[in-house]
Amino acid sequence: MAAPTHGQLTPPILDQLRALVGPENVVASPDELLVYECDAYTLERGLPNVVVLPRTTGEVAAIVKLCATENLPIIPRGAGTSLSGAVLAVTGGVMIALTRMNGIVQIDYQSRRALVEAGCVNAWVTNAVKSRGLLFAPDPSSQPACTIGGNVGTNSGGPHTLKYGVTTNHILGFELVLPDGEVVWLGTTPDGGEEVDGYDLRGAVIGSEGMFGLVTRVLLRLIRAPQAYKTMLGVFETVDDASQAVSDIISAGILPAALEMMDQLITQAVEAAYHFGFPLDAGAVLIVELDGLAAGLDRQAEQVIAICKRNRAREVRLAQSEQERADLWKCRKRAFGAIGRLSPNFMTQDGVVPRSKLPEMMRFIRHCSEKYNLRIPNVFHAGDGNLHPLILYDEREPDQIRRALKASDEILNQCLALGGSVTGEHGIGVEKIDFMEKQFSRDDLEAMRALRRVFDPEGRCNPHKMFPGSKRCSDFAPRKQIAA
Amino acid sequence: MKMLAPANLDELLQSLAGNHARNEKFPPFTLTALNRVVEHAPEDMTVVVEAGISLEALQKKLAIGGQWLPIDPPRPEATSIGDLLNANASGPRRFGYGTVRDYLIGIKVALADGRVIKAGGKVVKNVAGYDLCKLFVGGQGSLGIIVEATFKLRPLPEAEQFVAGHCESFDQAAGLMEAVLASELTPVVVDWHRPLPTATRQACVVVLGFAGTRAEVDWQLAKAAAMGITEPASLDYETIFWAAESRPHRVSVPPPRLAQAIEKLGAVEWVARAGNGVAYYRGGTPPPKGQVPVELTRRIKDAYDPKHLLPELTW
Repeated sequence: MAAPTHGQLTPPILDQLRALVGPENVVASPDELLVYECDAYTLERGLPNVVVLPRTTGEVAAIVKLCATENLPIIPRGAGTSLSGAVLAVTGGVMIALTRMNGIVQIDYQSRRALVEAGCVNAWVTNAVKSRGLLFAPDPSSQPACTIGGNVGTNSGGPHTLKYGVTTNHILGFELVLPDGEVVWLGTTPDGGEEVDGYDLRGAVIGSEGMFGLVTRVLLRLIRAPQAYKTMLGVFETVDDASQAVSDIISAGILPAALEMMDQLITQAVEAAYHFGFPLDAGAVLIVELDGLAAGLDRQAEQVIAICKRNRAREVRLAQSEQERADLWKCRKRAFGAIGRLSPNFMTQDGVVPRSKLPEMMRFIRHCSEKYNLRIPNVFHAGDGNLHPLILYDEREPDQIRRALKASDEILNQCLALGGSVTGEHGIGVEKIDFMEKQFSRDDLEAMRALRRVFDPEGRCNPHKMFPGSKRCSDFAPRKQIAA
Repeated sequence: MKMLAPANLDELLQSLAGNHARNEKFPPFTLTALNRVVEHAPEDMTVVVEAGISLEALQKKLAIGGQWLPIDPPRPEATSIGDLLNANASGPRRFGYGTVRDYLIGIKVALADGRVIKAGGKVVKNVAGYDLCKLFVGGQGSLGIIVEATFKLRPLPEAEQFVAGHCESFDQAAGLMEAVLASELTPVVVDWHRPLPTATRQACVVVLGFAGTRAEVDWQLAKAAAMGITEPASLDYETIFWAAESRPHRVSVPPPRLAQAIEKLGAVEWVARAGNGVAYYRGGTPPPKGQVPVELTRRIKDAYDPKHLLPELTW
C-alpha cells in the first residue's frame, strides 16, 4: 500500500474548525500543542497541526467531514496515557481529543449497563455504581486518568483480566464516527438486546487503535462486585520460585482474580515511594487475589498458601482489612510512578508468553539486563503471562538509548520465540511496528489491511500506525542506529 | 451437489484455489477429517484444536486435564468447533461464562482464494494487530473457512446443581429474577422455560444453575431456597426443546423487558436465557429484522470474499 498523501491545514480551514466548535475548543498555538506531542511512550514525538476538543457527536461528525473534504489526517485521542505512541501525530494533522465529552449519560441498574461518552474516565464508572454493588471490570493501572474511548481503542487490560477478561469482554456497543463523517452504532444499542445480527463489528473495532474512526459513546456491561476478597502477598527468595508458584496455582484449577508479580528492584522502589511494608530483601513478591463467594474462599486461600510454601515462599501475608487490600493495590498500580527514583527514563515492554514459559522468560530478561548493562525491574500480570520489563536508561546518553532499544527488541523477539505476543495490552502504535512482520505473515497483515480499507479507504484516520512500511518520526535516530 | 470431505488442510486449499467465476458457490463440505486436538496445555489453560472436531469430543479430552471450554450449545455431539464459531452458538450457561467470542484467542482461516491467514495467537492476552478473530465468530462461514481455533479454558467446577421455582405469572418470574440478580447469588444459569401443559396454573418455570466449589454451591442452594426456589432441576427442558428439527426464532431484548416479549409470543414452544434477555421459540410470528450496518457489511464481504464464492451472510 503506497503511503497516502494528505492535505495541509490552512488558515481558512482553521477558521472553519473554530466556527464548528467555538474558538475556546481549538488549540493551535505551538506552546499549547506541546502537551499533545506524545503519549506515555515519550521516545518519539510529533506535533499535530491543531487539536480540536468537541463536546458532542454532532461536532465530531462535522469536524471529521471537514477533514474528509480537505483530505486531512485525523488523530483520535483520549487522555494520552497509552504506552506505544498510538496517539502520535506522526505527520501532523487534526487531533480530535474526546476529553470534553466525558459524561456518564445513563446508568441502567436493572440491565446492568452504563452509557458513557468516550472521554469519560475509566474509574468514574465504577465510582458511580459501586454503592449499588456493581463495577466496570477492566481496571488498567492508568484508570484514574485513562478514558473509556481509549480503552476501546487499545482493548485495555489491567490486573484483573485473568478472571474477568479485557475491555472487549465488557463493551456491549458504541457509536462510531467513520472517517467520512457518517455516524453508526455497532453492537448492542442502549435499549436493545445483547444478541446482534450480522458481523461482530463491535469486536472488530475494539483494539483497532483508533484507525477505524472515532468512538463517541460507549455502552458498558457492569458486573456485580464480588461478595468477598482474599488478597495475599507471597514473599519469595527468587523470581523463579514465584513464577513456578504462578504456574502451580493455575494448574491446580484455581482461577484467581489477579496474580501479579514484582521483582526485587521494583519492590524496593515501590517501598521507598509508598511505604507499604514490602520486604526489601525478597527476590520477588506475588500478589494473589481470590474473589467470589465467601463460602468458597477460605479453602482456596489455604490451597494458594500451600502452593506458595511448596515453592519456598518465605511467608504469605493475608490482607487483614479492606484498607490494607486497597493500599496494596495502590502500590501495585502506581509502581510505574516509583521508577523515577531509579532512573530518569524508562521503556516499558508488554510482551506475553504462555504462562508455563514464565520462569524461562524471566531468566532471559535477567540475561538481557546483564548483557546490556542496564537495570530491568519487572512488575507484571504473571497470571496472564503478560510481562512489563521496565528498561531503565538515561536519555542524555545516546548509547544507553541504543542499548535499551536493543534489549527491548531481544526481549520481544524471545516472547515470539516462546509462542507469545509482543503486546498484551499496550498496543502496537508506532513503537512496535517493526514486530508486526515477525508476529504475522504477509497474508495475515494483508487481511488486517483489508479491514482497514473497509473502515477507512483513504487511510486518513490515525495514519502511520500498526503496519510495517509506515512513516516513522523523521528525527527518530535511535531506531536507525540499531538498523545500521 | 456432492459433499466435499477434504482429507487435510492442503486438499481444502486446493479446492478453494484456482480460477473461479463470480458467485460460483463453493460446494457444501465437511471438515470431519480435521479433528485433532493440536495442543492442550493445562498449565496454560489453553487449547489449539482443528475445526472439524465435535465440541463433545473436545470437552472429553479437556476434561482429562480438569478443564473445559465453558460453552454449552445444543447438541454438542453434532456441533463441530467450526459450526460453533460460525453460528456463535451458546447455551444456558452463557449467563455465567459468556459466549464463545469471549474464549477465542486465535484462529486459522482458509480464505476463499485458497490463502490461509492466522489472527490472534495462543496467549490469553494479546492486542497485536486488529482483532480479526471477532469477524469470524457468527460470520456464518461467509468470510472464510475456519480450520483451526485456539481457546482459553476454564477449570471444571467441582460441583454444579440446578434448582427451579414455579411462577404463576411472568410478572412474578421477572420479580423473582430481579431479586436473584440483586442478591449475592452468582448463578451461571438464569433460564425460564414453559411449564408442562398439565401445570395449568403456571406461566413460567425459573431455573437457576450454580457452579463452583462444593461449599459455594451449597451456600447458594440454601440462599435460593430461602427465596422460594427449592425444587431440584436439570436442563432436560433445553435438550427437549432443541431435539426438534426445525430451527427456532430468536428474540433478544434487555432482560427487564423479557417477560413482556414472551407474553406477546402467545401459545408457542419456548425457552429463554432470561438473565441475558434472549428467548428462542417455535411457531408464532418471526421477530422484526435486526438493524445491520449494511454498507460496512457489504464492504467486509467484498474485502474477504470478492467473488462471493462462500455463503452470503443472512440476518
